[in-house]
Amino acid sequence: MSNSVFSVISRFVEEYRSSTPNKLKMIDAYLLYILLTGVFQFLYCVLVGTFPFNSFLSGFISCVGSFILAVCLRIQINPQNKRDFLTVSPERAFADFLFAHTVLHLVVVNFVG
Amino acid sequence: MAHLCLFSLLVLSLVLETQALTPTHHLTTTDVARLQTLLSQPFTDLKSAYYSVVGLSKLGISVADAAETCRFIKSNLDPSSVESLFFAAEASQALPGCEIPVSNDTRDLLLATVSEDSTASQIHQSVSALSSLGLPLASQEVVSALKARISKEDNVLTIILALQTASRLSQQAELGEILEEIEDQVIQLVNSIFSKKSWDSLSEAFSVASAAESLSNNRFHVPVIVSAQGPAAISHSQPFLRLQVTNVLCKPLSSASVLVESATATSSKSAILSQAPFTLRDGVFELNFMASQPASGYYQFSVAIAGDSRFVANHVELKVKVSTRVSINNMDLSVVDKDQSIGPKTTRVEYPAKAKASFMADSHQIFAMTFQLVDETTGVELTPHQTFVRLHNQKTGQEVVFVAEPDSKNLYKFELDTTERKTEFDSISGTYALYLMVGDATLENPILWNVADVVLKFLDEEAPSTIQAKTLYTPKPEIQHLFREPEKKPPTVVSNAFTALVLSPFLLLLILWFKLGANISNFTLSPSTVLFHIGHAAMLGLMYVYWTHLNMFQTLKYLAIIGSFTFLAGNRMLAQKAVKRLERK
Repeated sequence: MSNSVFSVISRFVEEYRSSTPNKLKMIDAYLLYILLTGVFQFLYCVLVGTFPFNSFLSGFISCVGSFILAVCLRIQINPQNKRDFLTVSPERAFADFLFAHTVLHLVVVNFVG
Repeated sequence: MAHLCLFSLLVLSLVLETQALTPTHHLTTTDVARLQTLLSQPFTDLKSAYYSVVGLSKLGISVADAAETCRFIKSNLDPSSVESLFFAAEASQALPGCEIPVSNDTRDLLLATVSEDSTASQIHQSVSALSSLGLPLASQEVVSALKARISKEDNVLTIILALQTASRLSQQAELGEILEEIEDQVIQLVNSIFSKKSWDSLSEAFSVASAAESLSNNRFHVPVIVSAQGPAAISHSQPFLRLQVTNVLCKPLSSASVLVESATATSSKSAILSQAPFTLRDGVFELNFMASQPASGYYQFSVAIAGDSRFVANHVELKVKVSTRVSINNMDLSVVDKDQSIGPKTTRVEYPAKAKASFMADSHQIFAMTFQLVDETTGVELTPHQTFVRLHNQKTGQEVVFVAEPDSKNLYKFELDTTERKTEFDSISGTYALYLMVGDATLENPILWNVADVVLKFLDEEAPSTIQAKTLYTPKPEIQHLFREPEKKPPTVVSNAFTALVLSPFLLLLILWFKLGANISNFTLSPSTVLFHIGHAAMLGLMYVYWTHLNMFQTLKYLAIIGSFTFLAGNRMLAQKAVKRLERK
């Protein structure tokens, strides 16, 4: 059993390494970073306490929001999805990404206190 | 000039219902004296001389130095002014032996003023001057001039002046008809003129004095003032009801005859007297009301004053109090057993003695008290307003007051049940002094009588031995305010450690990107690119500043500016990149 899981995972990693364009890999690295940041914030909250709660919420939501926006960007940039996003060029996707981030950060900074 | 009209002004300007009015204000003798003092002040000009002289003459008082005053008037006279002539003429007429020399020009001036073209006040002044100086004048001309004036100036002042002027003419019947309709106004006038008892100016004093004289001595209406001498109260020691009947100047009306039309008791509405006359003695009208043996209480008297057809407000309503002395009869004290197995021992106590033995009452017994309150002279039973029984504990100073109620036969009863009433007494046993308090407005001798001593025994001695006065007004315990405790914060070490931990993935990101080969080799230094990056950096900086200093509105403002700039630059930059990408393809 573990054999097949291990082989699936190694196969997946191999595929990923070879067939994913560099741009997407960079975005994936960014996604990992965001994920870790969020996890560490949550860990703090679990271990130490929820004071100040609003700060925790704003930080955590910032991570979640950024993750989602980056995922959207990745989907839109991916050349394999070009058929689904005929009207959206990569530049347009990036511009949307930036704009959405501005709004997100406005809200996050307002709430962090 | 208008001050003279004060009197008539009020007469005509009062809009009223025609109900029977009685004067509420008049001049007492002290008021008249004060009026006189004010009018006697030394005068500075012709106008004030006129007020003083004529005012005093209306009060019936002559001026101190008539010759000097006459000279003063003559020297201050200005023969070309109608007003000056008016003042001088009136003043000189009030002074004995003072004649103002009149020239033909003066007379012509005065006669010429009597025409439709002069104002009503000018006509009044000239007509008065002419009549005071003894010069002939044509009444018909005056009347026609006045009539024309009234139709031209349709206001109250004109009508008043016209009336006053007409009064200086020969006695005409039409004047009387007008005045007879204004009876009520006369009373209201009396009230308003004499309500103010101190007068500021000479003209005011003059007006009041002349009003008082007119109201006392005119041909039509003389208001009658009826006042009781002292309080309107009668008792056996003072059986006469005394009334003063005077005119507004406080001079007694000797020609009057005073009659009680009816006297009814306010409580029972039964008439005690009808058509009983008052007898005049020493200027005061008196009536022996006690002779009709009224019961004590309040009576409504309706008094009529006759004797002169000019009398106005000659029906008066008076409230008279008849007081009496009360005596307590048949005061019986007893201690009754609750189960009534032992008969009551009744002790009779006579006022003002005190019962010799004290009474004992404990939880099995009831202490009872009965008595009667009667009028001393007539023996009629009374029910005064206040009949209280007060129990006073001498040791503790506590007192409890109860009300004694009369039954249907007007016999007062008071019962004290120790078990029922123990809360009022705080269950404190001991000797209580019993007092009876009787009082009423119509009683001359209110009673406070220490009847007996009562020893009360209560079952449960729960109360403390000393009485604490109810602590309503002592300072209350101070409240300490508890400020909100700040939340427990973790130690700084932990916070710092986790901050470092949270920031650490950024390092990881940089490492990964480096490994992936991220570079900025495609960074074109075109202006839009540079500007975009600057704008973007500015937006991030704005976020930080927002966190530290600004509020949402300011941030939005700045964000709008920077954002639109960045948008334009970025748009340009991305368009260029797109073009480049498509070219590469």
